[in-house]
Amino acid sequence: MRHVFVFDQDKCAACSACMMGCLDQNDPDLAAGDQCFRQTFDNEVALEDGSVYCAYISAACMHCADAPCIAACPVGCLSKDPETGFTVYDNTNCIGCKSCAMACPFGAPRYRKSDGRMVKCDGCNIRVKNGLQPACVRACSFGALTCVTEEEYRASGSTKACGALIDQLGLRKK
Amino acid sequence: MKKIAIIGFGGAGYNAAREVRRRDAEAVIDVYSDTDTGPYNPMLTTYYVKGAIPYEALFPFGDLKTIQKELNLHVYTNRPVTGLVPEKKKVQFDGGEALYDEILISTGASAVMPPIPGLELPGVFKMRTAQDAVELKRRLDSGEIKSGLVIGASWVGIKIIEDLVEREIPCTLVDGAEWMFYAAAFQETALRVQKDLESKGVQVACGQMLDHIERETDGRLTAVMRGGGRFTAGTVAVCIGVRMNTGFLRDSGIAMNRGVLVDRRMRTNYEGIYAAGDCCEALDIQSGVHRNIGVWFNANRQGAVAGANMAGSSEEFDANVLVNLAHYLDYDFISIGDAAACGPEDEVYEYEDARYYIRAVRSGKAIKCINMTGSADSNGIVKNAFIKAIENPKAELDVRTVCFLQGKGFPDGFINFLGGKSLD
Repeated sequence: MRHVFVFDQDKCAACSACMMGCLDQNDPDLAAGDQCFRQTFDNEVALEDGSVYCAYISAACMHCADAPCIAACPVGCLSKDPETGFTVYDNTNCIGCKSCAMACPFGAPRYRKSDGRMVKCDGCNIRVKNGLQPACVRACSFGALTCVTEEEYRASGSTKACGALIDQLGLRKK
Repeated sequence: MKKIAIIGFGGAGYNAAREVRRRDAEAVIDVYSDTDTGPYNPMLTTYYVKGAIPYEALFPFGDLKTIQKELNLHVYTNRPVTGLVPEKKKVQFDGGEALYDEILISTGASAVMPPIPGLELPGVFKMRTAQDAVELKRRLDSGEIKSGLVIGASWVGIKIIEDLVEREIPCTLVDGAEWMFYAAAFQETALRVQKDLESKGVQVACGQMLDHIERETDGRLTAVMRGGGRFTAGTVAVCIGVRMNTGFLRDSGIAMNRGVLVDRRMRTNYEGIYAAGDCCEALDIQSGVHRNIGVWFNANRQGAVAGANMAGSSEEFDANVLVNLAHYLDYDFISIGDAAACGPEDEVYEYEDARYYIRAVRSGKAIKCINMTGSADSNGIVKNAFIKAIENPKAELDVRTVCFLQGKGFPDGFINFLGGKSLD
């Protein structure tokens, strides 16, 4: 069953626990310049009416239904997991050309300098296949970040699926 | 039962076949190929030479037999199509012809070898096909190449330079234009690119038009330039561009510039005839004119769109903008948009720090072109901000994009230039 990450900005407290969960799970070498797959932002935007909009955001790969990175990869490293629907990768033949990064509107693919290969959030695919939550979701104490099946998502009536962001950006092909 | 022909089997042809089969289990799909290998990706050739990938990885969709079986295709290998009668949907080949309901032209492009004296000499090579890559790798591995000259600062040319530098083979890059990456880079960007390359030991000479190549008495080759310049090396790579494989369409009635003209649905001027990939010119959303933007992503997507439409759907290929990406020797450069459309009357934004160099040009709110170096992780974010600005120049960047760009260390001035708003 395809899974969907759902981010409810109204519940986010910008605590970055999701990012810590991701770091713990994926263990990037930060000292060597690697980056965490999940990023958090806590910016404030002054609005014209004098109020302030708090942009608390947690973002990693959106696992777009029609992921442009897959078509962009010249060696076919990226694919959809038929079971979870996550955008997963096998970087054995990755040439480090960064075509995936050029295709992604969210900056999700990362270039790992130590071996010159692309890495990215795979939705904690193995965890989810074994009935666990993704590490970032498990770390979220406020219920802002969840991961549900597509069926559950449809039943919830939510419009906050991360994969839907690509529609909001107006980039999906017709 | 629908009968479909796919002429040429690269990324576009493969994705078209896959999309047709996904939507129509019964369709008869005939594939005409001028080789007997599976679809390969020309951009991988230099990576194979480098040793970054094995030979099999040149064929990202797998071997031909497996593909043929999985997609239930009739593949005619080593059978180049020699003619097309579009009003009859007839494909002609040596010794026969066949009629179809739908036809896709996906014949790709070939490396250009102009009629210049000396290009036929042993030791002069081009780089486009898997066979070209195998031959260069063999020669490099054997140690017979002691020095290299690359003619043409193209996207392939720069990767051959990388292959040579990484093997510590002295090399020179010459180009006929005034500066490197002339069609994509502003002069200010190109000078930085050149400086970086020179710091890595590569000799660079621009404004050098090739006249001929001659053999020295010691066996080396000398490229003699029209201005009298002479560049000598053990081997010479000619990387001066590609030509679309459309010769068989001459006088067929199919509308063409350099490539086959298609609309957003990848349709040609004849009903039931489509084109996709490096042989076609799709609509560039920035200029509104037809343009070939020969990148792997476009070939795959265009093929998939054509395949869907041949199977009876109604899909469009959009977001077609000029993009050039070069990544080599730990350096990356991207150009988004049309550098040639920029003039002295336009507004210029420029920024440089230890990580980024950015030069961007706009007229009013319309961004015309962005050059960046050091930005590879963020190129997709900026490219899509650029596309969004074309589609709606008055639209501001959404907050998420602004956050992403700030998080990547882009200056507020650039974010504002893209139509964003500074955040605290």
